[in-house]
Amino acid sequence: MNNTTNGFKPRARKAGLVVRELSGELLVYDRERNQAHSLNETAALIWKHCDGHSTIAELRSTLEAETGASVDEQVVRYALRKFTKLSLLEEPLRASVGERRLSRRELIQTIGLAASVPLVVSIFAPSVFAAASCTQTCTVPADCTVPGCPNCPVPGGKCSA
Amino acid sequence: MDKIDRLGWAEGITFVSYGVPLGVRLNRAGMLEQLVDRFPPGWKPSRAGTVERLYSLIIGGVGARPGIRRFNILYGNTQKLLRTLDIEEFLTVFESDVKLHVAAGARRRVFIHAGVVGWKGQAILIPGRSFSGKTTLVAELLRAGATYYSDEYAVLDSEGMVHPYPRPLSVRENGKHVKHAPEIFGARSGSKPLRIGLVIASKYKEGARWRPRALSPAEGALALVENTVSIQRQPETAIEALRRALPNATILKGTRGDAREVVDFIRRKLL
Repeated sequence: MNNTTNGFKPRARKAGLVVRELSGELLVYDRERNQAHSLNETAALIWKHCDGHSTIAELRSTLEAETGASVDEQVVRYALRKFTKLSLLEEPLRASVGERRLSRRELIQTIGLAASVPLVVSIFAPSVFAAASCTQTCTVPADCTVPGCPNCPVPGGKCSA
Repeated sequence: MDKIDRLGWAEGITFVSYGVPLGVRLNRAGMLEQLVDRFPPGWKPSRAGTVERLYSLIIGGVGARPGIRRFNILYGNTQKLLRTLDIEEFLTVFESDVKLHVAAGARRRVFIHAGVVGWKGQAILIPGRSFSGKTTLVAELLRAGATYYSDEYAVLDSEGMVHPYPRPLSVRENGKHVKHAPEIFGARSGSKPLRIGLVIASKYKEGARWRPRALSPAEGALALVENTVSIQRQPETAIEALRRALPNATILKGTRGDAREVVDFIRRKLL
């Protein structure tokens, strides 16, 4: 499939994800990558409509219908690029030669309203030990034997994550 | 494990905490009483034949010859966790590891590394890892009249309610952990589960002014995911609990200096 054309029909990835809605936004946990993402309302709307049947132009129309406001196609493309980067689509969107890729800042300048710009914030989920409180005293890093707390920032201080 | 099993054990106990079966054995009799004080809240002795983690504690102390001291050695299953002459450090690491494994293994509760107080019938959560200053902020809130819930873990049920995790506050004084009952700060401990009213995702920086920005529920959930012990093992349970916990909460993120500034802010503007 040529994912760089307007014929691209993005499909949201479902496998390996835990998805929950919070006041119109989405919280997505990727079990395979141990990453968590928060999608603001605009990003959530676009992602939810990535059904594998709608083109970018159709997604834009759907977004316009749902928000009741005019939507630039760049908004949809920007979101799809984000989703691609975070492996949230079944098939990635590939940039075509010469395509202008707007940054978030440029998009805000174009649209004029930050809230309308898709926003995806991501973090890596901690392992059990990374979330631990480090309590061991150390002089050198070799003293730090408790899992999750391998560093000795200050001799005579506590081991740290 | 065979090698450790053969060391010779004087006493032991199996117990359950938040549904997680654990075992402890010691090479010296008479220490168990001191040890159970370090178990997580709500633990109960059990007759479980198998445990998820077996702690083997070799208590060192004074050696056979004058001037010789033996190391205290701690094993978690077959892994050597610590070798130290300092018995207080030994017990602190034991306590911390037990609590962490209970937090990671609990099936019906979600443990978030956070300080928690009750304030006008709602919970204030202060997520953060070591050295993020959460105990200092908890102590300051207690002085201001809050009810004590925890300075280590926010324990959420499947409905997103926060339960008390009643352990003494562990305050760092001159580089050492000192335990203080909440009464020292003029506070009492809470007993009822609470809804989350406020989350303060702050980092301490000396001299910083508290100018927080509000986070949306999903962004705020990330601040809690970052500190959720079981997130990799049980993401469905954890994410669902957070979804239920956060919709009506105010979530603030920022760098703070003096804890009193944050408490004044809460008193003036929130809850």
